[in-house]
Amino acid sequence: MPSRIVTLKLNGAERELIARPSTTLLDALRETFGLTGAKRGCAQGGCGSCTVLLDGRPVVSCLIPVVTVDGSTVDTIEGLADGDRLDDVQQAFVDHFATQCGFCTPGMIMSATALLDRKPDPTRQEVTEAICGNVCRCTGYEPIITAVLAAAEHRRGVPLASAEAEV
Amino acid sequence: MVISVQTPDSAEAAHAALQAGAVPLGGGTHLMTRLNDRAGGDLRLVSLRRAGLSGIGVDGATVTLGAATTLADLEDDARLSYLSGCVRSIASPPVRNLATVAGNLFVPQPYGDLAAALLALDAELDVLGAGGARREPLEQVVTGGLRADDLVTAVRFTAPAQSAFRFYKAARRRLNSGSIVTVAARITVEDGLVGDVRLVLGGLARRLVRATGAERVLLGAPLNAETVARAAEADAIEPVDDAYASAWYRARVYPVHLRRALLGA
Ligand code: FES
Ligand code: FES
Repeated sequence: MPSRIVTLKLNGAERELIARPSTTLLDALRETFGLTGAKRGCAQGGCGSCTVLLDGRPVVSCLIPVVTVDGSTVDTIEGLADGDRLDDVQQAFVDHFATQCGFCTPGMIMSATALLDRKPDPTRQEVTEAICGNVCRCTGYEPIITAVLAAAEHRRGVPLASAEAEV
Repeated sequence: MVISVQTPDSAEAAHAALQAGAVPLGGGTHLMTRLNDRAGGDLRLVSLRRAGLSGIGVDGATVTLGAATTLADLEDDARLSYLSGCVRSIASPPVRNLATVAGNLFVPQPYGDLAAALLALDAELDVLGAGGARREPLEQVVTGGLRADDLVTAVRFTAPAQSAFRFYKAARRRLNSGSIVTVAARITVEDGLVGDVRLVLGGLARRLVRATGAERVLLGAPLNAETVARAAEADAIEPVDDAYASAWYRARVYPVHLRRALLGA
């Protein structure tokens, strides 16, 4: 079967690509659109480093032939910041030392974002469950959980640690 | 290598693609891992994502799950709260947003925890085959399989009575880990005696096991530690070795997990 034209609403903009049958959503993001935030860690659905939002829900983009999601909305880590201004989850990761080598970070932040979009006031257990598919070899997870809880608080009106420090 | 991916918008078109030799792609959480390893050979795929096979229906006690309904959709549906523990024990949210109900029925053990639950609930499948639509008990499909051009369109079962459904999964980690022993049961207890029981074991053996020996021991007996210990001896199960646990370990801990599943302690 020949390649097909696929349309995505990618980080808010209509984008098109020519996709081979074997092109995954992750391939399309990284190789066609140059969005290299989502990483190819395992290509097995096991590490979560390729996590993006598909129609608002977190998915492992390495397991999706992109032709099967033609017309869908896709949001990646690149769509979160407003210019140089990080969004609250990103800022909380910086403030709470929740990123070291950074390989897991884009996937981790997209899983966290999906959680906070659905549950603005998650428990620690809910945060743990939300990121259980995102493997981090560096941080030991605790700073990540702290950051997600802090971002949730910030969304509810409590300032982030960095904002306090600036005062 | 994937040669083609069709994305039909009806069950009939999806079935026609299967008849022409395509392989069904549900959420891709099993098949795509193999293709990403280049281990799948040349394949033509037919994606079920757009084939109108998603959705959950609850009509009185009858529950119908569209074949391509995602595990995340089950998790979100308050009417299916008895399945929540099972579903949340499977993989992780970014996988459950892709993985489908019918896909879970055909993954190899030790995966397929939802299949164990649905087998305990005595589910039936709606199948579109060469001779048209038909119903098949899941139990028959688990042992005998389906034809390559059969398309599962839905899974049906009767919702269990309040607290009659038990699900217990032992794994190496609390979240996102393959099963060492999965126990799924539909069990009713009247005046301290087991009235009705269907007991399914996953993760232990090469296939899901309906523990009919244990069911016979349990039926009519008082539901206590002694009965459950005898039930755990009643089936000839051949546990498997894999990266999660040895066969020896599985055999050793099965009675413990059966007790936890049925008695909660
Ligand atoms: S690269 Fe997709 S889950 Fe690891
Ligand atoms: S920061 Fe290195 S893998 Fe998580």
